[in-house]
Amino acid sequence: MKKFIVLLMLCCTPSALWAEEAKLETVQVETSVAAIERGAETLMINCHSCHSLKYIKYRDLANFGMDKKKIEDWRGDQPLDAPLSSQMSEDAAVQSFGVVPPDLSLMTKAREGGASYVYSYLLGYYSTPDGVTGNHIYPATKMPDILGSSGVTEPAAREELQKKAHDIVSFLAWAADPHEQERHRLGYYVIGYLFILTLLLYFVKNQVWSKLK
Amino acid sequence: MSNKIIQWIDHRFPFTSFVKHELTGYPTPRNLSYWWNFGFLAGFVLVLQVATGIFLAMHYKADVALSFDSIQHIMRDVNYGWLLRFMHSTGASAFFLVIYIHMARTLYYGSYRAPRELMWWTGQGLLLLLMATAFMGYLLPWGQMSFWGATVITNLFRATPFIGEQVVIWLRGDYTVGDATLTRFFALHYLFPFLIIGAVLVHLVALHTVKSSNPSGIDLAAKDNIPFHPYFTIKDFYGLGIFLIVYCIFVFFLPNSLIEPANNIPANPMLTPNHIVPEWYFLPFYAILRSVPNMVGGVVAMGLSVMMFAFMPFLDRSRIPGGAHYRPIFRLQFYLFLLDMLVLGYIGYIPPTSQSILIGQVATLCYFGSFFLVPFVSKAEERWLIKRGLPPDVQALIAGESREKSQSPLRRRSGDKK
Amino acid sequence: MADSDTLGDSNRRNFLLKMTSAVGGAGAAAACFPFVASMNPSSDVLAKATTEFDLTGMNPGDMRTVAWQGKPVFVLRRTPEEIKAMEASDGGPDPEPDQKRVKKPEWLVVVGVCTHMGCVPNKEGPGWTCHCHGSQYDDSGRVVRGPAPKNLEVPPYHFVTADKIVIGEA
Repeated sequence: MKKFIVLLMLCCTPSALWAEEAKLETVQVETSVAAIERGAETLMINCHSCHSLKYIKYRDLANFGMDKKKIEDWRGDQPLDAPLSSQMSEDAAVQSFGVVPPDLSLMTKAREGGASYVYSYLLGYYSTPDGVTGNHIYPATKMPDILGSSGVTEPAAREELQKKAHDIVSFLAWAADPHEQERHRLGYYVIGYLFILTLLLYFVKNQVWSKLK
Repeated sequence: MSNKIIQWIDHRFPFTSFVKHELTGYPTPRNLSYWWNFGFLAGFVLVLQVATGIFLAMHYKADVALSFDSIQHIMRDVNYGWLLRFMHSTGASAFFLVIYIHMARTLYYGSYRAPRELMWWTGQGLLLLLMATAFMGYLLPWGQMSFWGATVITNLFRATPFIGEQVVIWLRGDYTVGDATLTRFFALHYLFPFLIIGAVLVHLVALHTVKSSNPSGIDLAAKDNIPFHPYFTIKDFYGLGIFLIVYCIFVFFLPNSLIEPANNIPANPMLTPNHIVPEWYFLPFYAILRSVPNMVGGVVAMGLSVMMFAFMPFLDRSRIPGGAHYRPIFRLQFYLFLLDMLVLGYIGYIPPTSQSILIGQVATLCYFGSFFLVPFVSKAEERWLIKRGLPPDVQALIAGESREKSQSPLRRRSGDKK
Repeated sequence: MADSDTLGDSNRRNFLLKMTSAVGGAGAAAACFPFVASMNPSSDVLAKATTEFDLTGMNPGDMRTVAWQGKPVFVLRRTPEEIKAMEASDGGPDPEPDQKRVKKPEWLVVVGVCTHMGCVPNKEGPGWTCHCHGSQYDDSGRVVRGPAPKNLEVPPYHFVTADKIVIGEA
C-alpha cells in the first residue's frame, strides 16, 4: 500500500497548483444484487453516454438477476446479446475530449487500488477560484466532473454523492469479475474438502510410518 | 482376472519389474525430510499446467485483434473458464515457487555434488526451459504488461555481437512485437512443456542411477533405505494436500494479486505504462540486468546469473560430505545468498531511483561474489573443521573416499546397491 | 523392506486407508468436472440458441428465411386457401396432421434443411423443392415426394407477442 502511495505521488508531480497529496479512500464494494443493480442504473444515467462496457452484455445483467423491465428500457431495440456500448461515437468523443473514454468493463482491475481508486477518483474533483476543474487522483484526466463532486461540500449532499459513487463502483467491480461470488463459494467448499483430505492423509501417513522400526 | 492380464503383459513388456524396481520397491533413504517433497510437487504442477493449458487453448485465439477478447470470453462465457484461467496463472507462480525451493534444498544439502552433477545440470536445463515457457506464455493475454515486457526482453537480444539487430527482428518476426510474435510464442508455449516433460524423464533416469541424497549428505548403508511405496508415496500425497490448500487459497480468493493491474488493459504500442515490471519470479534477474549501466554488460550479467548455478559442482571443493549439515560457514553463505535474492527481488520490483540502483549494484556484486568465494571458503572451512574435529562417521567417510579414489575412481559409494 | 502383506493385513481392518482413498478418489473425479464442462457450449453460444424474429411486414403468402443456430428456418405466412389445403390432408410418406405442426394456422415455422441429405430446399410455387435429389414438400413442410424420408423439422418456438416469435424456445 505504501509502495503505491509513493508511486502515486510520483505520478502527481506534474500536476496543477491546487493538486493535493493523492490519498485513496478505501471502500468496500457491495455484492448484493440490489446494490449492483442500483449501480447499473446510476451508471446508465451518468456514465453510459460516453463510456462503453463492451464485455458486459444485456443478457449478463439479466442472468445476474436484475429487473427485466429495466434491462428492456436500457437496451431499446438492441438484442439481449448486445454489449453495453457507449452512445457517443469514438470520433465525437475525440473531438469533445481529445481522447476516447476508456471502456469500463475492467476498470476496477486495471488500476492499482482497484475499486478504491475508482471511488476516490469519482469523488476527487476540485475546482479552483478561477473556475478550473481538476482531479486529485488522476490530474491528467480529460473527463469532466460528471457527478459534480467538486461543487458538493455540504455533508448531507456529499454523503448522497458518496453513496452514488459507491453504487457505481460496486457495479463496476461486479462487471470486472462477474464470477467472483461463485468463485468464493466454490473456494470454501474446495478448501474445506482439502482440509479434511489432508487431515486424513496425515493420519494415514503416521499410521504407515509407525510400522517402521 | 487382472493378474492374468498383467501376466500377459509381463511376458511382452517389463511392466511389473519396472514398477517394482523404479516405483514401489525403489530404495529411498529413510531420513528424507519434507524438503524432499518438492520434486514431486514440481511434477504435479507440470501436469496441472499442461491440463489447464490444453483446455484453455480450446478457447484462446492467438491474434492481436482477438487475444485479449478471447481471454475475456474465457473468463466470462466459457463454463468454468475463469477457474481454468486462474488455475493456470496461479500455477505458473506455484511452479516457480516449488522449483526455487527445490533448488534451494539441493544447494543447502549439497545434492549437486558428485555423483549428482548431471542431475543438477538437467535441472538447470529444466529451469531455462521453464523460464522460456513462462516468458512466452506471459505475452499471450496481450495486455499492456505482456506487450511491453516482451518488447523490453526481446530488445535485449540486440546485445548479440554483430547481428544483434537482425536477431531481434528474426525473433519477433517483425520490427516490433506484433501478430507474428504472438502467433509463434503461442506455438512455442504449447510445445515447450512437452520438451520439459522429456527433460524431466531424463532428470528422473539420472536420479534413479545415483539415487537420492539425504539431509546428512552421507550416503546411507543399504539397510537404511526403505521402499518408496508406501512410505514416500503417502508422504508425497500428504505434502500435496498442504500444497493444494495454499494453491487453492490463491486460486479462489487471491487470484488477482498475481496479475498486474496494467495487464487488464489491452496492449497499446503507443503508450508505455509508468512501471514495467516482470512477474515476481523474474525480479532478481531483472534487478541484475538493470544494475549494469552498459546494455550488453547487463544482458551478460543476467545470463550469467542464471547460469552460475551450473558451476556449483566445480566451485564447491570441500571434502566434507553433503551441504550445510556439517558446514556452518557454508550454511551462513547459503542464508546470506537467500537474503541477497530477496533484496534483488525487491530492487527489481520498485521503480529505479539512484539509491535503489546503488543497492542493486551492491546486491549484484554480492550475488556473483557468493559464487566466486565458494572455492576458497569451502577449502578453508574444510581445514578449519578438520582441525576442530569432525564426527567419527564423517571422518571415516572422508578417509574411505580418498582410499576409494586412489583405488577405483568410478566405483559408486556405499548404499548405492542397484 | 516392508512386505506388502503387512499392508495387506492392515487393509482388512484399515478403515482409515479405505476412507482416505475414497475421499481422495471422489475429489479427483470432481476435479475433472470443470475441464469436461468447459468443453460444453459457452454462454455466448447458448445465447445464440434462440433467435428473435419480427413478423411485421409479412403478407399472406410471404416466406422469409431466418438463421437459427446456424441453420435456415422458413417462416411462411399462409393464405386461407393454403391453410385449407393443408388441413385437408395428412401429407405423403410421413403422415402428420397440419394442426400438429403449427401453433397458429396462419404461421408455419420449419427448419429449412432437407431430411434426406441436408440441402436447403427452394420455395417454388406451393411448398418447397429440394434440387439436390428432387424431394418435394408441401405448404406444411411435409414431404410429398421423396427421397426425403421425413417432414421438415418443426423447431421449438413460441409467440412472444402476436408479432414476434422466439425460435429455439418452446
